[in-house]
Amino acid sequence: MAATQFVVNGLLVGALFAGVAVGFALIWGVVDIINLAHGEMVMLGGYTSYWVLTLVTGNAEGSPLLFLATIPVAIAVLFGIGYALQRTLVSRVIGTDIFLTLLVTFGASIAIQQLAIQAWSANPRSIQVSFADPSMNLAGIVVPKMKLVAFAGALVLTALMYVFLQKTRTGRAIRAVSQNPEAAALVGIDVEHTRAVTFGVSSAIAGGIGAFIAVILNIQPQMGLIYTLKSFIIVVFGGVGSIPGALIGGLLLGSVEELVAGFASSQWTLAVSFSLLIVLLILKPKGLFGQGAEQ
Amino acid sequence: MSTTDEESGGVLRSILPPEQVDRFLGTCDDYGWPLLGLGALIAASFPVLGLEGGYYMTVLTEMFLFAILALSWDIVGGQTGYPSFGNMAFFGIGAYATAILTKDFALAFPVAFLLAGLLAVTFAAIIGIVVLRLRGHYFAIATLGVLLVAQQVSRILDITGGASGKILLETPSAETFYYLFLGVLVVEMGLVYYLSGTRFGFVLNAIRDDEEKATAMGFNTTYYKTAAWMLAGLFTGFAGAAYSLFNTFIDPQTAYNGAWNVELIAMALLGGSGTVAGPVIGAFGLHTIIELVETFAVGWQLVLLGGAVIITVIGFPKGVVGTLSEYASQMDYYKHGGMAATDTDDGSEVSADE
Amino acid sequence: MSKATSSPATDTDSDRAVLRTDGVTKRFGGLTAVDDVDIEIHSGEIVGLIGPNGAGKSTLFNCITGTLTPDEGRVYLQGEDVTDWPEHKIARAGLGRMFQETRIFGDMTVRENLLLAAQEGGADVSSLMRRPDSSLLARTDELLDYVDLGGLAETRAGRMSFGQQKLLEFAMELMSEPEILLMDEPAGGINPSMLENLIDYIRNANEEQESTIFLIEHNMDFVMDIADRIYVLAHGERIANGTPEEIQNDQRVLDAYLGRE
Repeated sequence: MAATQFVVNGLLVGALFAGVAVGFALIWGVVDIINLAHGEMVMLGGYTSYWVLTLVTGNAEGSPLLFLATIPVAIAVLFGIGYALQRTLVSRVIGTDIFLTLLVTFGASIAIQQLAIQAWSANPRSIQVSFADPSMNLAGIVVPKMKLVAFAGALVLTALMYVFLQKTRTGRAIRAVSQNPEAAALVGIDVEHTRAVTFGVSSAIAGGIGAFIAVILNIQPQMGLIYTLKSFIIVVFGGVGSIPGALIGGLLLGSVEELVAGFASSQWTLAVSFSLLIVLLILKPKGLFGQGAEQ
Repeated sequence: MSTTDEESGGVLRSILPPEQVDRFLGTCDDYGWPLLGLGALIAASFPVLGLEGGYYMTVLTEMFLFAILALSWDIVGGQTGYPSFGNMAFFGIGAYATAILTKDFALAFPVAFLLAGLLAVTFAAIIGIVVLRLRGHYFAIATLGVLLVAQQVSRILDITGGASGKILLETPSAETFYYLFLGVLVVEMGLVYYLSGTRFGFVLNAIRDDEEKATAMGFNTTYYKTAAWMLAGLFTGFAGAAYSLFNTFIDPQTAYNGAWNVELIAMALLGGSGTVAGPVIGAFGLHTIIELVETFAVGWQLVLLGGAVIITVIGFPKGVVGTLSEYASQMDYYKHGGMAATDTDDGSEVSADE
Repeated sequence: MSKATSSPATDTDSDRAVLRTDGVTKRFGGLTAVDDVDIEIHSGEIVGLIGPNGAGKSTLFNCITGTLTPDEGRVYLQGEDVTDWPEHKIARAGLGRMFQETRIFGDMTVRENLLLAAQEGGADVSSLMRRPDSSLLARTDELLDYVDLGGLAETRAGRMSFGQQKLLEFAMELMSEPEILLMDEPAGGINPSMLENLIDYIRNANEEQESTIFLIEHNMDFVMDIADRIYVLAHGERIANGTPEEIQNDQRVLDAYLGRE
């Protein structure tokens, strides 16, 4: 049945949105910044994977395993970019007017976009991954294998981040800083470094997801803003402090978008998503699950 | 913030003492109307004195355009404290309105222009009901959403020409546009200048400084915010209405330009948010710089824009006019003293939680 | 006076009350912050509201000003039921409020703050669009001199010290000439000599302008000194009402403060 197919499509792509949103939520919750350049991290991750693959194979094509091997590279590169971004720019505006922080990250977003256009032209690109049999058929629902891989990848990345936050020392430091930076400093945590690490981790995940997007959709320098905004919608829905909330929000958003695209037209998805956002903001500004903008 | 001003002030203070700057600003304030009239007259005289349609006239016209946009943004962003990322939505509506009305409905430009403004204001009122309830980053991002949706809608609809937009052939002369934009700018500057000295202007500033206190004092902040928002929508709409014909071309990307929105915010901040002259100065200055960059290094102007935004925000949040008046009023507190009334911080700012 | 004969007198007194609450109750989730509180403030009085931390004093204030809506009970301002009115409407009807953390408009000049506070002309459009006239400006100068902030008229309000900002907030209230002024911990955060001045200002306002004042305070010396009457709140309930002497000797009050309830 058509609707089921749409929902499945939506869930598959929704996991990607969720993965991106989780990183966005992390920065928002820990550094108290809404990072309007977050979408650019996704874009850069996609391009990193693209260029690494091209470097190895000569063109942007490869086997699934080869592609997956580029993911750690994308993650590492984006960690570095995110870390640097926080330490050089964002750290200078923390604690000032909220609008200024928005503006700084938006300025960075524009600069990065434009640099990307200069470097790689505005034409969309994509990575081709060859499967013997590109899709599976599960009980009448067509499931492209790559999308399944991406779905799994997004979930793995999200789970990894969850584990990182809960089980590692750095993760605990991050949670401490998000709850009370002064107290964290008093017990010896390097707050600035921790914030930068948060930015790095968040960008790294976004970058990893960007690599998947390069395969199942495409990448172009100006794709970032949409992902930033979708992340915002998801986090408003799920609550800033909540990873489960972001996950559910992402899956839901993906499903809604696919349903709209399927039954109406893909041109209307953005309008629908945004109307939902407006409705959400009016009805439940603190999100459904989490504590809202203050942790 | 005041202490760092003082530390760096040493050398500067001997070259350009705060009292002089204070007096300069005071004179500007006292002679506000004559200055505005003089500026308008000078600008109006250029075409008479020989400036012809072409590159330079276009650049000047665009400077006026951006000044209008920056000032309009500042009414809501700088004076009322609701910084929006979506002002260009009004621009786009105005632009498409005149494009459609003149091309498809063969209305005369002046009529279309006024109708476009009306449309923009109505849109502002309707959207305002929704977004003005939100605060801070929710407001900013919601307005960004409005902008993007408007852009998307114009891509879909036929009447707007879809993604390819509309080409407009029968347009008024370059000089007409020069005077039109100049005129709208002067009117807007005059209006904002006047309002900033009235109760209405004070209430807007109060909303910016402490909206809850303003409510507790008896002001229905919703009315005031909406009025400011509609005012901004009106002038931005007019700017857009003129622009589509000025540009002879309009498409979703041009009409609902997110980068321009950031540009005009940067202009308002660079020049000095919350003042009348600030956004105008910022617009003139930044636009000139961007034009220069475009001449010498095509394609890099937006990178520069991003950089300019970052630098402004980090180093220069009060802008030119703001920094000047901060500097000028440095000595105020110590001169007048007042009662040293407390054991706690002396001279530091006490601000309410937002 | 026996209880029977005092009842008719109380009825007429209630009618003349500037502010009256009748059974106001406010709950937050499982917590009852304000529990069936009746208070009455008459014209020209200075009434204090005291009680241990968490007793519900600020919540009661918020219910009166319209920041919060009571779950039960009514609030009457000059005999009119304002319980469901929006905050700005109540303020415009003559209820002034000073905040614990002293809120003024930091980026505007001191004079602009005062001009804003003037209620003349209300909110009609024509008065909004006019620049302040000379009589208004004269009044602001007068008030500024009165609270000794004369030379600071053109200074940005946020640059002043905390105590000066408090004075400005007070001057703003005087400017608006409210029917009743609610003050939330006016003595907080200022030194003793400043406190003396503040007491004088409040007394003057009360005597010369017949301002009615209702204040929350923790500073016992201050309250006992200045108040005509005092209400005591504990655990959201009104446990006492009387003159300062009566309150000081009321066992229930002492118990509440010493935690014996």
